[in-house]
Amino acid sequence: MSSSTTDTLVRMANDISNFFRIQPEDQAVAGTADHIRRYWEPRMRAKMAEHLTHGGSGLNAIALKACERACKSVSSAPIYRGGT
Amino acid sequence: MLKKHSPHFHDDWDPESARGIIEQYKGLEGPLLPILNALQERFGHLGDPAVRLVAEILNLTRAEVHGVVSFYHDYRREPAGRHVIKVCRAEACQSMGCEDLVGRLERALGIHLSETTHDRRVTLEEVYCLGNCALSPSAMVDGELLGRASEEKILAAVGEQA
Amino acid sequence: MSLHTGNGFEVIDRGTPERKSEKQVTLEIDGQSVTVPAGTSIMHAASLAGIQVPKLCATDSLEPFGSCRLCLVEIAGRNGTPASCTTPAESGMRVSTQTDRLARLRRGVMELYISDHPLDCLTCSANGDCELQDMAGAVGLRDVRYGYDGENHLDAVKDESNPYFTFDPARCIVCSRCVRACEEVQGTFALTIDGRGFASVVSAGMNEDFLDSECVSCGACVQACPTASLIEKTIVQHGQPQRSVITTCAYCGVGCSFEAELQGNSVVRMTPYKDGKANHGHSCVKGRFAWGYATHKERITKPMLRSSPKEAWREVTWDEALDHVASEFKRIQAKYGRGAIGGITSSRCTNEETYLVQKMIRAAFHNNNVDTCARVCHSPTGYGLKTTLGTSAGTQDFDSVNEADLIMVIGANPTDAHPVFASRMKRRIREGAKLIVIDPRQIDLVRTPHVAAMHHLQLLPGSNVAVANALAHVVVTEGLVNTKFISERCDPTEFEAWAQFVSREENSPEHVEKISGVPAPELRAAARLYAKGPNSAIYYGLGVTEHSQGSTMVIAMANLAMATGNFGRNGVGVNPLRGQNNVQGSCDMGSFPHEFSGYRHVSEDATRALFESAWGVPLDPEPGLRIPNMFDAAVDGTFKGLYVQGEDIVQSDPNTQHVAAGLEAMECIVVHDLFLNETAAYAHVFLPGASFLEKDGTFTNAERRLGRVRKAIPPMAGMTELDVICKLSTLFGYPMHYNHASEVMDEIARVTPTFAGVSFAKLDELGSVQWPCNEKAPEGTPVMHIGSFVRGKGRFVLTEYVPTDERTGPRFPLLLTTGRILSQYNVGAQTRRTPNIVWHDEDVLEIHPHDAENRGIREGDRVALVSRSGETSMRAHITERVQPGVVYTTFHHPESGANVVTTDYTDWATGCPEYKVTAVEVRLTNHESSWQERLDHLHRIQRIETVAAE
Repeated sequence: MSSSTTDTLVRMANDISNFFRIQPEDQAVAGTADHIRRYWEPRMRAKMAEHLTHGGSGLNAIALKACERACKSVSSAPIYRGGT
Repeated sequence: MLKKHSPHFHDDWDPESARGIIEQYKGLEGPLLPILNALQERFGHLGDPAVRLVAEILNLTRAEVHGVVSFYHDYRREPAGRHVIKVCRAEACQSMGCEDLVGRLERALGIHLSETTHDRRVTLEEVYCLGNCALSPSAMVDGELLGRASEEKILAAVGEQA
Repeated sequence: MSLHTGNGFEVIDRGTPERKSEKQVTLEIDGQSVTVPAGTSIMHAASLAGIQVPKLCATDSLEPFGSCRLCLVEIAGRNGTPASCTTPAESGMRVSTQTDRLARLRRGVMELYISDHPLDCLTCSANGDCELQDMAGAVGLRDVRYGYDGENHLDAVKDESNPYFTFDPARCIVCSRCVRACEEVQGTFALTIDGRGFASVVSAGMNEDFLDSECVSCGACVQACPTASLIEKTIVQHGQPQRSVITTCAYCGVGCSFEAELQGNSVVRMTPYKDGKANHGHSCVKGRFAWGYATHKERITKPMLRSSPKEAWREVTWDEALDHVASEFKRIQAKYGRGAIGGITSSRCTNEETYLVQKMIRAAFHNNNVDTCARVCHSPTGYGLKTTLGTSAGTQDFDSVNEADLIMVIGANPTDAHPVFASRMKRRIREGAKLIVIDPRQIDLVRTPHVAAMHHLQLLPGSNVAVANALAHVVVTEGLVNTKFISERCDPTEFEAWAQFVSREENSPEHVEKISGVPAPELRAAARLYAKGPNSAIYYGLGVTEHSQGSTMVIAMANLAMATGNFGRNGVGVNPLRGQNNVQGSCDMGSFPHEFSGYRHVSEDATRALFESAWGVPLDPEPGLRIPNMFDAAVDGTFKGLYVQGEDIVQSDPNTQHVAAGLEAMECIVVHDLFLNETAAYAHVFLPGASFLEKDGTFTNAERRLGRVRKAIPPMAGMTELDVICKLSTLFGYPMHYNHASEVMDEIARVTPTFAGVSFAKLDELGSVQWPCNEKAPEGTPVMHIGSFVRGKGRFVLTEYVPTDERTGPRFPLLLTTGRILSQYNVGAQTRRTPNIVWHDEDVLEIHPHDAENRGIREGDRVALVSRSGETSMRAHITERVQPGVVYTTFHHPESGANVVTTDYTDWATGCPEYKVTAVEVRLTNHESSWQERLDHLHRIQRIETVAAE
């Protein structure tokens, strides 16, 4: 995946966290993580996981924690390469 | 009630002044007729610009205002002549020869009823009952009642020769 | 119009409206005893007893007028012959509707009418459907003693200016039904009677042509006219229809019920169906008149293929086309993975078709890559209302507005986009309800004849949530909260947190004034008015949802309504004005990548098990790709095949360059539509679709109301979408077969608890039904959240104002916002192919006089509209409807390229594009933008090679 897609994902994660940031921190992280798990397709979460392994630059504090919670468990989605 | 007719012409339209008049009366309950009366008084008629402005300020459609203006004979859509002759054609005046009178006036002025002379001097109109039956035939010239009217008297009143 | 007889749906005109009353009165009419609510007219009471009193000026959609003098009756013990339309029934009355005296009087009245009427019944276009004709017959008119040589109006000149109907004053009987319909039903007041007495004549505007007047061409006058005076041009051309089919309009989310009237297999007229619960016999110019696109010459009726978008299209058979799609999609999956293909369902196709597309994607494609156009319009509504209340839909029905005392319209322009509902809203406002409008632009509703907003909060685009928080601030800090409602129906801890949050200084009207431009005193006054009620209703549209804080704003509105206790009865609620005819339905049917039908998440094991059992295959538990993410994935090389049904993503989605890049990166794009649209320029397969006239099914409107769509003509392409999807799925390896759309609805009912009671049989019986419709509510649910919210307690959620990243600056100092106009519908695919073009043949840019002057722009000048995303050009229109700093345009014509300039900022929760806020600059130009030149070229090279005749 290209870096511009990563930029998009970083922005999306930050935007989500900006909605929750008014809440207490653990609620905000949980809310953001939950949202990502519910609405991000596995490829998107896998791509974010990859970005996290390179430092996760651009993510704000809440988004970073939330992505670690919601994205790391998804591998590079082998089900999406080679086969129905 | 009927004011003396004052001669204002169509190129007299002044939106600012009109707006002032409308604003003055718009707070009344049922302001439309007082406004139309006042505008007609000032400008002698209620043309398209007047209808549009009244509609805009009162938040009505121009159709609605037009409907009211066209309903009343005394609202003019175009300016009248310098002088307005209204000849009564109700039953009492008929019995005293108003039809003949109307014919003579039409020929003398060269126009039909509801028309204005070419030089915009005189408008000839019909009315139905001035309530002056004992002095039929009756007419009204520039708002002034004229009993026992004749062609000569009426034309003299507007400065014309018989 | 006289009685309609078609498919057994007879509708009787009872002369005057139905009245409701606690008190009943019983009277005797022609010896029959009748009991009616107090206030009912004698005419209406007689009709209920099966007695139709002759009438001409009375019709039951309008208040009685009493001008024609035909409906006279005799009442025992009273003198004279009162009109039965204006006389209320009273207990103990004994009425005779037929006596010798009445017969003579009625004949006398008819004689007068006919003495000034053309005597050409046999060649008149109303022959067979003329109430004057009927009444002349009913009263036994035999001769006209006045003769026909007196003064008359027979040489009056026809007005044929309107593209859809003619006005012939020679045939007019001055019953004033048209004037009254324009006032009472439509609320436009465009007609009047000019003059008086014998000189009375119907006048549009100040005796103008209909087209030049204030008329909006809704056709209510044409429908009301009892003679051929106002008549549809199609009737003049083709004659009277012979059969009719009741169906639902395919334009907007009002979902008007119509009678499609036909001769053979040609529609000659669309007449609003009187018993339609959404529209009550009314319609707008689009539904009533602009249906010609369905049989337009540009309709594609044969499947087409090509190996690349650069080639000409090749007509092929259905088998060839569908085989190709199946094999290509399978190939792509084999090469790139299960998630490399997906589809977009149409919000304009039926529930049944949409359900099958998402079923095919889930069961045959084995992924959840399905999405719908709600993504770009009301997806925040779904998210926001589900979060706070528990249901992804509006809370009321349209009739609820009849009991509203305060109406707050936020980011919506109903007189243009939901005209039939707007007429109802305006009627309520004329009755005394107060209006608040929150919109950056001075929409018509702010001040239109007989309607004026008490407050117009003219905020800057992008400041919605700040304003909503400020309204809440006033409600909480001034003690206007409905504590009883909150204690009974909401979580107290959450409410406390929310109350504290909105009370903060940064949420005060004084602070928010700097962000939004709304003067604090105005905002405070509006908040107090809303809180006062007693019944306050919020109506909102895309001016709320199409923002980076779209979902946040929906939540904020729901919180405001909860705080003031405005849920759970008529006259209140939070009402999304949903755009498309079936966008609500499309969402209900599980078109979202993360939800099955009924808004249940794909990861919920119990739900998934239900569907796996019903469909017989394992299903993917992970959310799929949303539309914008499909383009991202395509550019990244992992998404290669797309099936698009009934949507023009290239014209309607934001940031056209991004969409184009995504499409260009794919290997097989299938467009299933009526016409070659902008998306088809990128496609490899074109499958011809069927219009709403050509199929059976249901649409769900903004009220959650399912209405029947009934086939009136055979599908022009030989197959409906239902047939095509079943065939495609079967070729893909997942067999699907349904004999009829009703079977699909039966399946939907089996798997979706909120639809459990829905069936075509029930819809035939009740006309329409609002979901939830199940055991708890067998006849549907007009008003939701009565007593408690669907999720139990209503949720208060903190809504911090987060400014959008889209900021103005020296390069792009103006804010562009977008909207719609009455005569055109969305991307214009349908309306541009009808005479509606006469009202809006191009999109223009509205700009304030100050901004125009600073740039040397005059009315009509061509201007370049530039943003960070791209550049387009259009003509300028100078107006004070927009404030300085804000410009506005519509997007009905592809050449306008409004989406070339919109950004890819979206709502944080749903990805709904921020169409409503784009930083732009505007400057004079003397040529089209390069994008427009490329588009011209693209249009010109789209060729179709037709199959040579054997």
